Amino acid sequence: MSVLWVLAKVAGGLGFGMIWAAFLGWVERKQSAVMQDRIGANRADILGFKAIGLFHIIADPIKLFTKEDFVPQGVRKAFHAVAPSISLGFPLLALAAFPYGGTVEFLGRPWSLQPVESPMGLVLVLGMVAVGIHGVVMAGYASNSYYGLLGGLRGASQMIAYEACLAATMAGAVFLFGTLDLAEAVAWQARMIGGVLPAWGIVLQPLGFVLFLIAGAALTKRTPFDLPEGESEIVGYHVEYSGMKFGMFMMTDLIESVVVASLATTLFLGGWHVPFLTAPGVSGAGVALPPFMGSALPAGLHGPILAALMLGSFTAKVALVLFVLMQIRWTLPRFRFDQLLDLGWKNILPLALANFLVTAWAIYLAKAWGIHIWG
Amino acid sequence: MPPQCSPPRGGGSRHGGLATREACGRVTVRPVERPERDLAVQVYLLEVLTGLGVTFRHFFLNLGRHAAKLLGVDGEPGSVTIQYPEDPPALGSRARTRHRILRRPDGAPRCAACLLCETVCPARCIRITAEESPEALIEKRARTFEIDLGLCVFCGYCVEACPVDAIRMDANDLDLPAFDRKDMIWDLRRLMEET
Amino acid sequence: MANITLNGRPIETPDGTLLIDVAKTAGIEIPHYCYHPALGNPGNCRMCLVEVVGFPKLQPACRLKAADGMVVSTESPAVLAAQAGELELHLVNHPLDCPVCDQAGECGLQDYYMEVGRYKSSVSEDKRHFDKRKPVGPHIMLDQERCIACTRCIRFLGQVTKTAELGMFGRGCSERIDLAPGKVLDNPYSGNLADVCPVGALTDRDFRHQVRVWYLDETPSVCPGCSRGCSIDIHSSTKRPWHNEGRRVARLKPRFNPAVNGWWMCDEGRYSYKTLDQDRLGKVLRLKPERAELSWDAAFTELAGRAGELLEDKGASGLVVVASGALSNEDWRAFKKLFVDSWKVVQFVFDPAPEQTGAQDPLLRRKEKVPNLKGGEALGFGTQVKSAPWETLECSIEAGRIWGLYVVDRDLTRVWGAKTAELLSRLDLVVFQGPFKGGTGDLAHYRLPATATAEEEGSFTNFEGRLQGYARALAPVGCALPDWRIFEGLLARHRARRREG
Repeated sequence: MSVLWVLAKVAGGLGFGMIWAAFLGWVERKQSAVMQDRIGANRADILGFKAIGLFHIIADPIKLFTKEDFVPQGVRKAFHAVAPSISLGFPLLALAAFPYGGTVEFLGRPWSLQPVESPMGLVLVLGMVAVGIHGVVMAGYASNSYYGLLGGLRGASQMIAYEACLAATMAGAVFLFGTLDLAEAVAWQARMIGGVLPAWGIVLQPLGFVLFLIAGAALTKRTPFDLPEGESEIVGYHVEYSGMKFGMFMMTDLIESVVVASLATTLFLGGWHVPFLTAPGVSGAGVALPPFMGSALPAGLHGPILAALMLGSFTAKVALVLFVLMQIRWTLPRFRFDQLLDLGWKNILPLALANFLVTAWAIYLAKAWGIHIWG
Repeated sequence: MPPQCSPPRGGGSRHGGLATREACGRVTVRPVERPERDLAVQVYLLEVLTGLGVTFRHFFLNLGRHAAKLLGVDGEPGSVTIQYPEDPPALGSRARTRHRILRRPDGAPRCAACLLCETVCPARCIRITAEESPEALIEKRARTFEIDLGLCVFCGYCVEACPVDAIRMDANDLDLPAFDRKDMIWDLRRLMEET
Repeated sequence: MANITLNGRPIETPDGTLLIDVAKTAGIEIPHYCYHPALGNPGNCRMCLVEVVGFPKLQPACRLKAADGMVVSTESPAVLAAQAGELELHLVNHPLDCPVCDQAGECGLQDYYMEVGRYKSSVSEDKRHFDKRKPVGPHIMLDQERCIACTRCIRFLGQVTKTAELGMFGRGCSERIDLAPGKVLDNPYSGNLADVCPVGALTDRDFRHQVRVWYLDETPSVCPGCSRGCSIDIHSSTKRPWHNEGRRVARLKPRFNPAVNGWWMCDEGRYSYKTLDQDRLGKVLRLKPERAELSWDAAFTELAGRAGELLEDKGASGLVVVASGALSNEDWRAFKKLFVDSWKVVQFVFDPAPEQTGAQDPLLRRKEKVPNLKGGEALGFGTQVKSAPWETLECSIEAGRIWGLYVVDRDLTRVWGAKTAELLSRLDLVVFQGPFKGGTGDLAHYRLPATATAEEEGSFTNFEGRLQGYARALAPVGCALPDWRIFEGLLARHRARRREG
C-alpha cells in the first residue's frame, strides 16, 4: 500500500512538471504577447471554440510528434538519440523530491504528500539538475556539427557555473533551517516572527533569495541567459535535432524553470504553508485545519481538504515565481558570454558566500546570546 | 582561393595590418566620450527593475483591457494586432501587390512580348516566349508568359519597363501562397482572369 | 600622304581615303547608314555630315576624300544639329515599334538617337503605312515601314550576289523597298541582308521573335560548313533556356575577315546552327554485344583491349578508319598518332565524296562541305596515304578481308544505303565516334560522343592553307569529349596494354 502510494506520488510529481511544461508553453506565448501589445497564440480551435488559445497546449505536442524526426548524416547515433532524454528526464526526476504538502490524517492513517521523503532532498534535487547538464553536452558532442559542439560547451560551462552559484545562494537558508530535508525546511518556516511575520526564507534571507532567483534563471538557460542556444540568433547544441527530440530540449528549459520555482517556493516562500492559516503552534506532521475552518467542516474530510489547501498553496507560489521568471525572460536582453560568467563567478558566488558567512555568524551569536526572535 | 591571396597567418596578420594602416596614413583616431558608469548602473539590478516595471505595467494594463473587452466594455484595445486574413490590412493606394495583365478591347492580352520586363526583372521571375501574332496589325505576342511569384520581389520594375502598359501590380491580392512551388508560377491566363 | 586635322588632332593618312574611314581608323565613329565599306557610298542618308573649314556647307564624310591641309570637325554644334535634324527626318515615317522589333539593341537608329537625337519630335502628322510583314524569301522578312531607304540591300544584291531581287519603288514619301516583279529573294547569300540593313527593315525569319539580342553571348569561331572556313561569331543564348525554342545557338553572323570571307557568309553555313541541339550523343555506349553505358575510362580500356586483340590476331590490314574533314588540326594530329603510328592502320577513307560534298560558287561556297581536309593533308592524308574508294571497301568487307571499321563522324548509310547494316554486321568491331545520333552510330559496337565545333577549341586549315583558330562557345553535351582527347585516351590505354604485355 505504501509502495503504491509512493509510486502514485512520484507519478504525481512528474505529472506536476509535465503539465506545467505544457502549460508554460502557452503562458510563455500569451504573457509575452500581452506585455508587447499583441494577442498571441489564438489559432488552434476545437469545433470553432478557441478558449483564448489554450488548445495550443495540445496542438504543439501534436505538431512536434508528427514532424519528421531527421537524424543527420555522421552523428553519433546512440548519444544523439539518448541526449534529449537525459536533458529532460533528470530535471523531471528532481521534481519527485519536493514536499508538495505536509502529512495529513485520512481514514485513520497518515498520508505524506512528499513523493520521495529523503533527508537529503536538496542534494537530490541539485544532483538531478547537474546530471541533466550531460544531456546538453552530449547533444552537442553527438551532433557532428561545430555549432552544436560549441553550443554544448557553452551550455556546460554556464550550467556548471550557475549550479555552483545556486548551491551557494541556498547555503544561508539551509544553515538557518539546519537541515537538507526539504520537508523539514518547510516545517521550519511555519514559525512566526513576533507572531505576525511568517519566518519564510525570503524574510530571513532576502539577499539569498534575489541571488537564488538570478542563478536559477541562469540555470534554466533562458533569456537573458540563453547563450547555449539563442532561438534564431545563436546556433546552439540542439541544432541537429528535429521533431519531438527538439521538443524535449525545449521542454527541458521549462521543466528546469519549474524545478527552480519549486525550490524557491520550498526554501524561500514557505513551501505549502498558507500564511496565517496554519494552526498556531503546530507544524510538520502535526498540521491541522485552523479552528475556525475545522469546526465548520466534517471531521472525516479534514485530511483531504487540508491536502488540497497545501497543494493549492504550493502550486500558487510556484506559479507566482514562474510568472516573475517569465517576465524577466521577456524583459531583459541577452548577456554577453563573458558578462554571464563574470556575473556568476565574480559577483553572485562571492555575494552568496558572504551572505552565508553573515548568516552563520548571526546564528552563532543568536545562540550564544540566547536571542529568540520567533516563537 | 589561390595561396598568394590568403592573408598571413597568426600574429603576422596583425602586424602586417598595422603596418599597412600606418603606410596608408588615412586612419585617424577620435576618442569617444563614454558616459560614466556609476554604481547604480554597474549593479544593473535597478535597471532591471525599471525594465520590469515597464513590462509589468504593459502586462497588467493590457490584461485589463482584454478583460474589459470580454465583458463588453468599450475602451482602448489591448493589442495592435491585425487578424490576417479575417481582417485584411488596409493597403495604400500605391501598394505593389500581385501582377495582372491588362487586356485590349478585344480581350486579348496587351502584352507585346517585348521582353523588357523579363530583362529588367532583378529576381528573374518572369519568363516569356514570343511568337508571331496572326492578327494583321499586331506583329508579336506572348506565346507563354509566366511570373514565378515565389521568386518575385515586388519591386515594380516590370510595370515601369512595360512600353504598352500591359502589366500592373494593382490586383490588391496578397494571398499568394500555395502548397506546391509550381502553383506559385502564374501563367498568362491566370494573370489576366483572376483580378 | 595627306596631313589633316580631325577634331583638333593632326592625322596622317594616305591620299584619297574617305574621311569616314579616316575617322574610324582614328577611333571616331561618324554616324552613317547608307555607307558600307563593301557596298559603296551613295551618300543618300546624310547622317555623316561633317564640318570642313573652307567649305560653305557641311560635307558628307563618306563622299569626301582626305586631302592635305583639311581641317575637319565631327562634333561641332553645326554637325550635331545637322545629325539631329537628319535623324528626325529619318524617323518621320519610322514606326518606332522598337519593343517588338528584333533589331532593337543593335539598331543604327537607336544607337545614334541615344547619342545625337533630338528627343522631341516636331512632326505631328500621321505616319505612312506600308507592308509591315512581307516574307520576301525563305530567310528574310521585309518591313517597309521601318526602312530608311539607305539602299544597302539593293546594292548588296546588285554588286555582291548580282541577283537584284529587291528594288526601290515609288517616289517621295511613298518610296519603298520591294521585291522585283516575279522574283523571290532566295539566293544562297540572302541571310546577309539582315546584317547589311542598319535598321529593322530586313530581319532574319529564323531569328525572328526568338530571343532579344541583349541576351546573346558572342564567341569568335570558324564556320565548319565547308572548306572556305568563314570567320563567324556564334551568338548563343544559354542563360535563359526557355528562349530560342530551347536551342543554345541563336544565330551565326559573319565576322569581318578580308582574307577569307570579307563581310559575308552563305546561308548554308548561317543556318547550320539549327541542328546543333538535335539528336546529340552525350553518353559513352557499348551497343553490342550487350548494351551498356560506360565511363570513358572503362570504354578506353575495353576498346583498346578489343582492338588490340584483333590487331594481334588478324593484323592491321583488316582495320579501316573512316575519317572526316571535320577534324580539327589537333584532332588530325592525335588521329595520326593513334592509327598510323601506333595501330599501323594502312587503309583510310577521308574523301568527302559523296555525302560531304555540295554546291560551289565563286563567291564563298566550296564543294567539299567539311572545313579541314587541308589539315589532314599536312599530315600526309591525301599525299602519302590515299583515300580508299568506297567501292573497294565494300568489296573487301564482302570478301571478308576486313574485320573492323572505325568511323569518325561519317554517315555510312548515306553512302551504302539500306545494305549498310548487313555490311557492318559482318565485322568484328565497328566503332562510331561523332556528335550526332543516327546513321552509322546506331549500327556500331561502340558509340563514343564527340563535341561539335562550337563546343571545343581548335583550329582549321582552309582550302587555301590558311590556319584559323576558333574558341569554345558552349559547354559539351553530356560527357562528350573533343575528338583528339578520345584518340589520346585510346592511345594511352593501348600503350599501357602493350607495356603490360
